[in-house]
Amino acid sequence: MSVVGSYRFHTGVSAFFEMATADARALLPDHLEPIEVRHQRSVLSVNAFLFDDSVVGPYTELMFAVIVPPAVAAWGQHAKAGLYPFLAATSSEEARRIKAERFHFPYHEQSIDAQFIETHERIRVRIFGSGAPILDLSVTPGAWETTTHLLQGYMMNGSERLRTILQISGDYTVHENEGGEMTLFPHPITTDLLRQEVSPYPFREHWFKNGTEVFHKLETF
Amino acid sequence: MSDSKNAGATTSVRRVDVEGEGSTNPTIPAAMEYDYTNFYFGAGDDPFALLEPFDEWYSQVEPAGYYLYELPLHTAPGTRVDIKDTKTGEMRRGLINFASYNYLGLSYRPEVKEAIKEATDVYGGGSSGSPILSGTTALHRAFAEEMAAFKGTEAAILFPTGYSANVGTIAGLMRSGDLIVADQFAHASIVDGMILSKAKSRFFRHNRADDLDRKLSGFDGKKLVIVEGVYSMDGDVPPLAELIEVCRKHGARLMIDEAHSAFVFGPTGKGVAEDQGVEDEIDIHLGTFSKSLGGQGGYVAGPQRLINYLRGFSRSRFFSCALSPVVVAGLRKALELASKEPELRTKLWENVATMQKLLTDAGVPQGDSTSHVIPIMVRDDARIFMIGEELMREGIFINPVRYPAVGKHKSRFRMSISAAHTRADLEEGAEKIAKVLGRYGLCQ
Repeated sequence: MSVVGSYRFHTGVSAFFEMATADARALLPDHLEPIEVRHQRSVLSVNAFLFDDSVVGPYTELMFAVIVPPAVAAWGQHAKAGLYPFLAATSSEEARRIKAERFHFPYHEQSIDAQFIETHERIRVRIFGSGAPILDLSVTPGAWETTTHLLQGYMMNGSERLRTILQISGDYTVHENEGGEMTLFPHPITTDLLRQEVSPYPFREHWFKNGTEVFHKLETF
Repeated sequence: MSDSKNAGATTSVRRVDVEGEGSTNPTIPAAMEYDYTNFYFGAGDDPFALLEPFDEWYSQVEPAGYYLYELPLHTAPGTRVDIKDTKTGEMRRGLINFASYNYLGLSYRPEVKEAIKEATDVYGGGSSGSPILSGTTALHRAFAEEMAAFKGTEAAILFPTGYSANVGTIAGLMRSGDLIVADQFAHASIVDGMILSKAKSRFFRHNRADDLDRKLSGFDGKKLVIVEGVYSMDGDVPPLAELIEVCRKHGARLMIDEAHSAFVFGPTGKGVAEDQGVEDEIDIHLGTFSKSLGGQGGYVAGPQRLINYLRGFSRSRFFSCALSPVVVAGLRKALELASKEPELRTKLWENVATMQKLLTDAGVPQGDSTSHVIPIMVRDDARIFMIGEELMREGIFINPVRYPAVGKHKSRFRMSISAAHTRADLEEGAEKIAKVLGRYGLCQ
C-alpha cells in the first residue's frame, strides 16, 4: 500500500471524550456506526498536532473525529481503531489545501493559532482563532514507550466513500486515569459540540512526541 | 495467517525484558497488543467473516495468557483448589484460591450438600418449567419468603441468575422515554438491562453524587438510578446517603445491586445499605445467590406491589426455566447458616484486614478497596498474563483482569477473600504474591 503523505511531528495530543451516540451518529455518514464505550455513549476524539516537518513546513492542526470500529480484515493491515474526522483546522492555509485535496478532510476555512505548553506533569494545548480562544485541552502522561499505531481513517468525497490507513509512530503514552480536561469556547468550530452532551473529561488520554504520521493511499469502497 | 489479514497483529514478536529472576517466558507476541474490542465489527456481509481472524488472533494470545481464563477446576471452590493447566496439561494441586466468590465458604458446607441431596431425592435435577407455569416448587415459595424476611422487605422474587435479575428488573420497569442513570462502573447486566429497556441512558462518574445530580438535571419523567453495593473490579462501595439525597431531590428511584455485598456487609448481613444505615431508603434491593451463598440465582426484594409487577413484566424470569429446586434447597440452607452464624462475617472481615496488612507490609500495590474484593494493581497490560502464569506456578489461583474489563493500563489481579481462608492461607498467599510481583519491580 503506497504512502501518499508523511508528516513529522514534535508533539501530538489525542483525547477521547464520551459523547451521546445520537450526536455521534448524526456526524457520521450512513455507512459508519460509532463505537460505544457504554450504552448510548460514543467517542469524540480531539486531536492537536504540532508538525515540524511537512511539504508545507511546520504547522499545527486541530481535528475532531468520531471513533468508529476498525473493520477486521477489510483490507491491508489490522488497525487498532477507526476514525471519521468531521472537522479540522490548521494554522496553514497551504497545509489544509493539500490535505483537503489528498484526504478530503473537512477543514474550517479560517486559520487557527495554537500553543503547546508542556510541563513534566501535563501538556496543555490552547487553540485560538483570530485571537479568540476556541479550545483549551490538557492531557497527562502515563508510562512512555516507543510504538507504532495503525488506524483506519474514513472520509467522504461527496457521495464517494473513502478510507485509508494512518500510521502514527513515535514516543507515546496512554492511560485512563482521568487526569485531563477540556474547555470549549464559543466559536464557529465548536458551535455544534457546545450544543451536544460532551464530557469535559477525557476517559483516555494519548500523548505522542517526536514521531511521524503517515497516510497511505485512499481507497474507494 | 496470510499477510493480507491482521498482519500487524501476528507477524512479529516483541521482546519484553523482565527484571530479576523467575521469568520463563520473556517474550510477548505482538498480538497481545490487540484485544476482544478489535474483533467486534467486521467487513463484509457474512456474519462469520470475523471468525477466522478472531481464531487466528486467539491462537496466538491463548498460550500467551488468555488460557488463564476458564481454567477447569477439579475440586469445589474451596480455599485450596486443583486446577488443570490447559497450557501444559499438568494438574496443579492445592493452589490457594483467591478467585472464587465463595466469600463465606458456604458452597461446600456439609449442611448445604446434605440439603441438596435431600432435595434431589424429592425433586430430581431441574424445575422443568418457567416459574410462572410449572417451575415453582414449594422450595421456591419458601425461599422467596425467607429472602424477604432476611432483607426486611414486604416481598422478594427469585431469578435464574443475577444477570437475569438486573436485565429483567430494569427492562421490566423502565420504558422508552424514561431515564436511567447508572454509575459508570455498573456491571454488564445493568447496562444490558438499560439497553433492553430502550430508556435514555446516562452514566455518572464513579461514586460522584455531584455528577449524578448533573445527569439527573433537566429531565422530566420516570427516573431510575442504579448503583452497586461493592464494585467488583475495585472493591469500593458507594456513598449511599449522598446519592439518596440527590435521588430524592430529583424524584428518582434508587436501585442497588448487592451482588458482592449482600450476606456479608451490615450488622445482620443484609448488605451495604444496612451497613450505611439507609436500607429503608432504597427502593429496589437486588442481588445474587452465586457469591456469598455459594449457589446460583438472583433476587429482587422490595415492596409487594413491586414484586407483583415484576412477576408479570420481568421477561428474563418469565421466559426462563426456574432455578433448580436442588439449587434452591442449598441456598435455603446457606441463608440459614449465614443468618445464624454471624461469626462467618466476623471471620471474613478479620481475614480482609489481615490480608490488607500483609499486602501493605509487603509493598503490594492495592487499589482503594474497602471490601473483601481486593484489586492488586499491576497496571501493565502487556505483562499481566505473564505474572499470572508465574503466580499459578507458585501455587496461587487468582484472576487477571485487563482492558477492556478495566481501563487501559489499569490491569490488576482481583483477589477475593473468604471467611474460610486460614491465617496460613493468607500468609502464604501474600508471601507468594509479593515474591512474584517483586520480580517485576511492582512492590513498592
